[in-house]
Parts: sequence; structure tokens; C-alpha cells
Amino acid sequence: MTYPAFGVWEGKVYDYRKHAPAEALPVLSGLDDFEPGNTTRAFIADRGFLVFDPEASLIEAFSQYMNQAARESCGRCTPCRVGTQRIRDLLDEFGHGRGKGREQTLKNVEEIARQVTLTSLCGMGQSCAKALLQALRHFPEEFKPRPPEQRADQHSYTYTTAPCIEVCPSKVDVPKYIDGVKGGKFDHALGVVLDKYSMVATCGRVCVRFCEAACRRNGAEGSAVGIRMLKRYAADQIMTMEKPLTFERAAVSHSERIAIIGAGPAGITCAYKLLLAGYQVDIYEAQRAAGGMASIGIPSYRLPKDVLKFESEDLVRHLGGQFFYGKLLGQDFSVDDLFAQGYASVFLGYGASQGTLLGVKNEDPGLQGYTSGVDFLLKVHKHVEYGEPYEIKGDVVVVGGGNVAMDCVRSAKRMGAKSVHLIYRRTLEDMPADHEEVVASEHEDIIFHCLTNPSALLVKDGLVTGVELVQMRQTERDARGRRSVEAIPGSESVMNCDLIIAAIGQQVDKSVLKPEEGIVLDRWNCITVDPDTLQTSRAGVFAGGDCVLGPLTLVNALDHGERAAASIVEYLQSGTITVRPAARMQKLLAKNKLLSDECLEVPPLRRERAEVPEQDARLRISNFEEVEGGLSKAEAYEEARRCLRCYRLYSIVTRQPLTAPAAGHNLQPILAE
Amino acid sequence: MKAYINGQEIAFEPEQTILEVARKNDIYIPTLCELHDIDHAPGTCRVCLVELRQHSGDDAQYVTACDTPLREGWQVLTRTAEVQEMRRLQLEMTMADHHQSCSTCSRTGNCELLAAANSVGLQHVRFHYSEGWENEDPIIEGQPIVYDRSRCIRCQRCVAVCRSVQNIDALELSGWGNTAGVRLKGGSVDASPCVSCGQCLMVCPTGALSEHDQTQEVLDYLADPEITTVFQMAPAIRVGFGEEFGLPPGFNVEGQIIAALRKIGADIILDTNFAADVVIMEEGTELLGQLKQDKRPTFTSCCPGWITFAEKHYPEILPYLSSTRSPQQVLGVIAKTYLAEKRGIDPARMRVISIMPCTAKKGEAARSELGRDGRPDVDIVLTIREFARLLRREGIDIKTLQPSAFDDPYMSEYSGAGAIFGTTGGVMEAALRTMYFVVNGKELEHVEITQLRGFENVRTATVNLGGEYGEIKVAMCHGLKGTREIVEGVLAGTSDFDFIEVMACPGGCVDGGGTLRSKKAYLPFALKRRETLYGIDRGTKARQSHNNTQVQRLYADFLEAPHSEKAHHLLHTHYTERKSTLWSGLESVQGKAESTKD
Repeated sequence: MTYPAFGVWEGKVYDYRKHAPAEALPVLSGLDDFEPGNTTRAFIADRGFLVFDPEASLIEAFSQYMNQAARESCGRCTPCRVGTQRIRDLLDEFGHGRGKGREQTLKNVEEIARQVTLTSLCGMGQSCAKALLQALRHFPEEFKPRPPEQRADQHSYTYTTAPCIEVCPSKVDVPKYIDGVKGGKFDHALGVVLDKYSMVATCGRVCVRFCEAACRRNGAEGSAVGIRMLKRYAADQIMTMEKPLTFERAAVSHSERIAIIGAGPAGITCAYKLLLAGYQVDIYEAQRAAGGMASIGIPSYRLPKDVLKFESEDLVRHLGGQFFYGKLLGQDFSVDDLFAQGYASVFLGYGASQGTLLGVKNEDPGLQGYTSGVDFLLKVHKHVEYGEPYEIKGDVVVVGGGNVAMDCVRSAKRMGAKSVHLIYRRTLEDMPADHEEVVASEHEDIIFHCLTNPSALLVKDGLVTGVELVQMRQTERDARGRRSVEAIPGSESVMNCDLIIAAIGQQVDKSVLKPEEGIVLDRWNCITVDPDTLQTSRAGVFAGGDCVLGPLTLVNALDHGERAAASIVEYLQSGTITVRPAARMQKLLAKNKLLSDECLEVPPLRRERAEVPEQDARLRISNFEEVEGGLSKAEAYEEARRCLRCYRLYSIVTRQPLTAPAAGHNLQPILAE
Repeated sequence: MKAYINGQEIAFEPEQTILEVARKNDIYIPTLCELHDIDHAPGTCRVCLVELRQHSGDDAQYVTACDTPLREGWQVLTRTAEVQEMRRLQLEMTMADHHQSCSTCSRTGNCELLAAANSVGLQHVRFHYSEGWENEDPIIEGQPIVYDRSRCIRCQRCVAVCRSVQNIDALELSGWGNTAGVRLKGGSVDASPCVSCGQCLMVCPTGALSEHDQTQEVLDYLADPEITTVFQMAPAIRVGFGEEFGLPPGFNVEGQIIAALRKIGADIILDTNFAADVVIMEEGTELLGQLKQDKRPTFTSCCPGWITFAEKHYPEILPYLSSTRSPQQVLGVIAKTYLAEKRGIDPARMRVISIMPCTAKKGEAARSELGRDGRPDVDIVLTIREFARLLRREGIDIKTLQPSAFDDPYMSEYSGAGAIFGTTGGVMEAALRTMYFVVNGKELEHVEITQLRGFENVRTATVNLGGEYGEIKVAMCHGLKGTREIVEGVLAGTSDFDFIEVMACPGGCVDGGGTLRSKKAYLPFALKRRETLYGIDRGTKARQSHNNTQVQRLYADFLEAPHSEKAHHLLHTHYTERKSTLWSGLESVQGKAESTKD
């Protein structure tokens, strides 16, 4: 059943009810084995619908779908609020053989479905009745009342998402928290995010913002909604309010203890969710404070330490978690020790914080005047945070083009370097660092040398005195349209410097897990996990964040922390871990790129994106105070109005219900509307 | 740029919406949620549909005119059969979950929703949804303003006016789906930043927002032979009531209101203008005292919206507020003491009923510090809308009434100064007329102080008070957005004023939250009403409060002198911080560039 019995997808009508297609190509991939062992009967989306099982009830499938639409309608605009209820009820009446007769009922459904589609205010209403309209237009004969005895073998699972949600590793309900800001309910806005992780103000400052890249405001009509600034706004409001944040804790408290290794974003999130679920959590951290790379790797001018502390260490402590600082796995204790101590489960989130060597002549980590990016940032962190002596003088060269390289150049400037040079082998446009970071660095008088690469270190008496650089040039585009770079022979030159910082990436420290722990690593020393459940090869041990993914983003780590907590809860309660229906749907959507390349038929009213205030560049280079400010309330309201709420509903219809964790084996939601 | 509406070539500016361009060219498109006067186009009702072809030969698209910017070469049609049918269906759906019990609605007679339904030719409503509100009662208890979600069309005008016009931000969007609506942050007036100014209900298109209706209570008092009813009308009432009965905006109906009150059986009819003159005697004296002590500035205290604003939002400013009670309360307390004595009435059987252009006055009358022996000084406050309802229930049309006149020998005379209390700058002008006399022993030569009579939301002026005081700096604000600026300036030490007049409602009392509602317009008659007040001033025998002979007699027979112990006891009050911890004030919300350090 790779091809549908009938359906309409992206305007194309498929009808193989009588004849099989000449070429049995699937319209979408991944539908027939959506859940192994369960039969996919139909699929409904905004772009169309596909029926695989001619025996499936179309009326039932659409009835369920529109029922969900009515539930998801926010109720602000009339056609969506009333129209979705009306369609739901008409379909339901029709399905039960009631109503005003076939012709009339279907005509009424079509009239309202058309109105909802054409005139709703946001993406939710505009998209939720599209497939129904197509079905009524092309396959009206398939709408048949459904006798009650046939209702047992058809089940719908409907998933609501939007481009910004789907692209986010944590799947944060972005339009919903923007609704919270728009509606003046900042606590609700915060609650939407707190449902996923606790580090909201942190994420609101330093997230890489996949969501903004996916925002449909991009392109013809100006720039993306300032999603991150709104998240920060909501978090900052609530934190400055006199009313303390209160969390609904699980009613039952469990006796099982869970050990979390690493107090970085993944570990903190995992601890936070487990604590809310009523478990006891101990966190082991090699450093002296929580936050992991968010603490060491992100300088305080981007993320003030008190902001981070409030929603990591303070909050986890407040919820009953215990920290054990200065404890390094592999050196001070082993995973075996943890189980021997009675922990029921272990979460590994020790990150990837070892610098990568440049691979040039004379390079030796022991050299004076040579350091890796993360080590440099750690030394700066300890200097700023604990007053440990660390002095930067003279000329500093940083090699790399990512955010860590940007953090290094900007920190070196603030530490008092005479001049700071950035060496990057590709072009400025190729830099993986955030564009805003590049611009801010330029404002801070960082000297950029692009298409330049180090080839050797100049060393005298164990001390770095300079670096030999070679000019690079772009090669012709390859078959995939990508341009590489190559060295220009004979273009070597020397740049004198007092400190060279290698910020070309981090790797996982392979000394942490000994082979006898029984946890399988891949060839980059990353922990191998089941991507759905985050289980490692050892029972009861879960892992997430950079030690699984290699150095990636904060929000990826937050997602891993949350999902690992869900897996641990289910593992402790039932011994098995279910792949959630939402996870299956997310995979399907990603595989078929169902939320990308959408454009707006009529461009919306232009509303300018808010600009965040910044500390003046001349002043900020001499301090570590936060550079970016927050929005004013009026600006936040304006920015929230720019959201187009591009919600979409996806419904999978199967013979049996999709397997989901048993009630009670789920994490508790933070916010009940 | 050029486009076509109904085939007519029309020039327009970039980013103008179809609705703006159509209106500019006098092409009608029905609307409902939009309110141009407060720049509000939330796009929630989806009624203003038009047919659009981006290029000739394209398929028709249907877009809402209020939030779609017109583009070069577009062809827009506003009255095709299809568009008309779609607008009808939109209104049918709006009506479907609206509580269509028009007979019990406060907005019967001038409802914008009904007008919109009529304008699209709605013929039938085939389905109904009441699940969202049928188990929900409007919240009345102790609140001057009542919200009834069953009549809410989710236009969010109230939220917009509260946020951007008044800068109070007391409302939040609540509920989901069929329970979507608005509510006060924190769930009640006390817990929220709300000051009961009533601007929300001035923009509400339906009866979803209305004042707590006390018409029946007044009728009950009128019917009770044991009770002496004492009515007072605020300065702004007489110039903002005629429209209800078809008279031109701003028409002075003072005489007709007196006649109407007589007709419904009012026992005593007094004028709040009289009390305004008393307020000037007290407040003017107070201000001169403050100036002598070099304590500045002094803020006026006649507006209860402003008082609540200060108590809730800027308690630090409370020591700078005049302690003089408002004219409504001054009248109430004098009626129940002086007048009761003069006329030999038991004050326990007296009921003071105010007719006010204001919703906040209901809250003011209920303040425990403004009553004696457990009884309020003012028993009931009717907004002008409730007063209209009261007259209709008695079958009275003021247009047909022969104007009458006040006849109370103690508390109904007023000076021109008292009369102009109802407009922005009026209290200031009235006070200066009397203060000048007190300082210089002679009347101000030009009694109309024109430099105070602008209409900007925040105005400042310098006035020569003569004598030892010389030039004093004054400021006047109407609307709380401007008030906030002034107060923040004073607190920050960047504004330098001696006397500041505040009226919480934009336009002042003549356009207060208790005045007649307009359809699809916000404060359309402010200036006409104001002109009439200035006209009344010009027509009075005495232009200054101290020349009001009944006021002179009040002090001679009863109060002794302004700020006497008795006057202090009866005519002054105190204020209390009422900041709630449930919401943060705007000041702490402006996290702008807080990291910038010099």
C-alpha cells in the first residue's frame, strides 16, 4: 500500500480505487510503516489527504480532524472559532446518519469550510479545512454515514505544530507563548516554555534560533518574528516580579534516586523534569557551578551568570535536587559506583569540552601562549566569576569562525588585549557563527582575516611568538554547488602574537567512560544512544547533549534532557520505553519536509521587527556587562502581534490506537490552561 | 501607486490598507471590530471582506480590507454577490455564539454588532452555540464595570484602549476557543492595575462591557416615602446628555435635566458645580499654603480615576496630592450635614444620588473613608447612561420638556469657575481665578486664562499669581498616558511644577467613561461640549468661586473659613497605597538598555 487508494495531495488528485497505478510510487514516504504492526488507513494534513484503506471511513477521519481543529482554535477570530465547531457538528451529525439529508449537510459543510479557509485570521483556521474542501470537491461519494459497529477499528491521532515548532529541537510551542505575551499573560508565556525546560531566560538570550529561520515572516515581507527576544521578555518579566514562581509538583513522590552526570543544559533539564515528576535527583559536576558550556563557554556579556544560576542551580535546588561539585566521572567515580550506591538510573550529560588541535607545525598544548578556545573561556570565566588571576596583554590571535571563536575574540578584547585578530579559513559569509555575533565583534574592533589559515606556530623557548599564515582561495563549485577552499602556494606570511587560541571546535573527552563500563561509544567518542529513547547500550543508563551529539547547540541539549527524563520515568515505572506518537509524526513531517517552503498567498501587513537595545560598543569592550538589553512592554506587545500563527494539523488514521505511554507514565505538564 | 477599487482608479501610499484607501475615497466597506480613532484593526471579526485580483485574469481572492495592504495594480471589488454572501455568513457566525438577548442588554438601541448585521443584510441565523458562556455569570460584585462574555465579540478594543491610550494595561486575553474573552489581570479590580476609568466600555461595540447598573435602586428610593432623595449633577452632565434625545452635541440641557428630575419626583436638586466652587476655596487655600512652605508640586484631587492611579501605580506621589475631597463627595457631605440641618431632615433618611460622567465615581462613593457613621456621603452614582435609562423608564423625553431652574437656596448656585470643572484645564483656571484674588485682593483682569485652554494631552503654562508668589508653573494632563509621563518626571526630579491638574479620561470629564457611548468613534464631541462649558462660564454672574453667594453663606453659617477645623474634618481626605503584588507596574517592565552604564 505504498500508493493511496485515493486522495488529493498538493492539488493533485489520486484515484486508484479501480485501477492500480502504472508506477506504484508513494506520495509521501514513511506513511505505511508509521507504526510497525499497525495499519495506516489514512493521513490528513493541510496540503491534502490520502486514504490507503478504501474501507476506512472518511467521515470519521474528518470528523476527528475537525474536532481537533475546534479544540485548537484560539477563539479570537469568528470564522475559526465558530466555523470549526459548526463543521465538527455537521460532520458528526452526518456520520451518525442524522441531520438534514446528505445533499444539504454536505453543502453546508462546504460553505463553512470554504469560509473558514478563505477568511480566518491565522494559519490555524486558514489551513484546517483545506483537505476537507478537496475531499468534498473530488470524492463526495466517499462521505457515507458510519454504522456504530464499524467505529472500533479506526483511530485518529492528530498532531498540531507550526514551522517554528517543528524546526526546534525542543519542539517548544512558539505561537502559544507568543499568544501569552500578546494577551498580556507573561506567566502563561513562560509556562509554555517551562513545560519543556527551565533555562528559559538563558535560551531567550543565546539560542541559535532555528525557529526564526523557519518563520514565515521571513522573505518578501520583512524579517522573522523576534521569537527569542519575546522568550527573553517573558522570562525576564516573571523573574523580576515580586510573585515567586510556583511549580506544581507531582502528587506522588518516588523513592528511586537518579544520578545525573554533568550540570550542563542537558543534565539540568533532565534533573528539572525528574524532580517535577517526583523523583530524587543528585547531580555530579566537574566544575564548581552549574551551567556547563552555558556557564563556561558563554561569556557573561552574552549571558549574565545570575540569570543562568537562577534557572539552573537555584531552581533545581529549590525543587530538591542536590549538587556534588568537583566530581569528575572516570576520575572520582564510575558508573558502576553509581549503581552500587543505589541509583536506579543514570543520565550522562558530561558534554564535549575538550579543545580540538589545529594540526599545524610546532603545535603542542603545553606551549606557553597557546590555548584552546574552551580552556581560554574557562580561564576568563574563573577570572571574572571568582577573581582568579588571569592577564591578557599584547596581541591575540583566535583561529575559528564559530560562536566559540566569537566568544574568544570578544572576551580577549574585554580582558585588555592590545589587538585581537580572527583567523578564518573560509569567507565571512561562510562563518557558522551567528550573524549578530560577527557584527558585534566588528563593532568591537576585532580584526578579521578571512580566507586565511594557520600553517605553523612560531615558538621560542617554549613560548609562542607568532603564527605563520597562509592565504586561501575559494575553489570552483563542486557538483553539489559547494565551494571549498585551498591554500595559495607561496602566500605564507608571519603574524606576531602573544597568545594564540585554537577555537575550531570541541570534542568529547574519551577518558570519561572506560570500556569496562559497558557503554558503547562511536568513533568520535560520542555515546551511542537509541535516537528515540536516548537509552545507551547499558540498561538504566541514558545520555544526551554534546556527549552524544558532539558539540552542538544549547537547545539540542535541552531537548535531550527533557526526552531522557521522560524515558527514565517510563523506564522506572514500566521497564519499557515507548516511542511516542508525536515523535513518529515529527519524523514523518521532517522526512517529507511538510513544513518547509511555505509562502504566503497574500503578503501580510508589514510590521517592522523590534530592535533590541545594545550597550555602546566603545563602553562594552571594557566590561563583561550584558551587551543586549530587553524589549520594553510596548515593543514586546508590538512584536508579538507580528506572529502569523502558522499552525497546522496532521492526522494519522490507523487500525489500532498508536501506542503511547500509559497514563501516569508521562511527565507532568507545567501549565494547565 | 495606483490600484482599482470597483473599477475606479485610485492613488494610494505604500502600506496603506485597502480599508484606509477605500475610506479616503468614500467607498463603504462594512466593519465591526476595527476602530479607527484608536488605530485599532485586530482583524478578528473578518467582516470587511473584499474580492481581490492581484492581476487581471487571476482567480478571485477574498481578503479582509482592514489588514491587507493595497498593492500596485490590484483590482478590488467591494460589493460582488460573493463578497456580500461571505460577509453575511461571517455575521451569522458572529451571532451564532453571541448572547442574542437584546432585551436585557445595556447596549440595546445603539449596538454596533446589530448595526453591522443590518449593514450586511443578515437574514437568518441557522445555528447557535452557547456552551462558551451559558454557565458563566457576569461579574458585578463591587465592580463599577461589568464584563459579560456572552456578549463579547473578541474585538479587543478594550485591551487596546487600556494599553495604548491609557497605558494602564489592566486587561488580558483570557480563555480559549469558545470561552475566549478578556479579563482583569489578577481577576478583580483590586488585584489588577485597573483604575475604573471606563475607557474600555467607551470603545466596546456591544454590551459586553457596561457599568454596574443602579437605575433600579434609584427608582426604589424614589418610590419610598420615608426617603428624601437628593440629586446632584456633575458639571459635564448638562453638555453631554442632549444627544441621547436627538439634540445637537454639546447642547446645554441643564434646565431640561432639572425639569426631568422634578418630574420623576426628586426631592432636592443640587448642583455639583456648587461643590466645585467649595473645592476651589479649599484647594486654592491649600495650594497657597504649600507654596508658602515651598512644597511642590500639588496635584488636584477631584478625579477618582487619577486618585486610584496614584494609589496603585505611584504611591510615592501620594504626599503631593491635594487632600481636598472631590466635588461629588464635598456635595454629599455638606448635604448630609449643613443642608440636613438647614432643612431639618434626618440625614439617615437622606439619599444622595449623583449623576456623573464617570465610572470611577461609583468606586469613589463606596470608599469607606468617605462616609460617616457607617453611611456613605454619596449613596448612589449613576453614569449619564443610567440616567438616560432612568428617564426612559419614566417615559421622559427631555427634548419636549420645558427647561426649569434650580431652587435650592443653599447648594445650587454656581460660578463660572465651578462650571468649567468638566473640561481639561478647567480646575486649574478656576483655582487661579480665586488664588489671584486671595493674593492680590483684586480680581484677575482677564478672567479667561487662555494659555490654559489648549487640548494637548499634556500642557504646561506659566501664570503670574502676583504678590509674594509671582510666576508659578502649572501643568494639565488629560488621559493617563500623559499623566504617567508627568508623574515620572516629578518623581525623577526632571519636571518642575507648582500645581498640576489631572483628569484620567482623555478629553476630561466631558468625555468621561460614564458619558454616552458613540458608535465607531472615540470621543467625537469633546470640543463641542467644552465650548458649551466655556459659554456657561461667560453667562454666569459670578465668574469666581469666592463670589458664589451660597458658598459665602456656607462658610459664614457653617464652615467658618477654608481649612477651618470643621472644613478640614468634612472636606478633606487621605490616600492609601494600593499597589498589588500580582502585577508589575510598567516602570519595572521597561528593561530597556538597563545594562548601559556610563
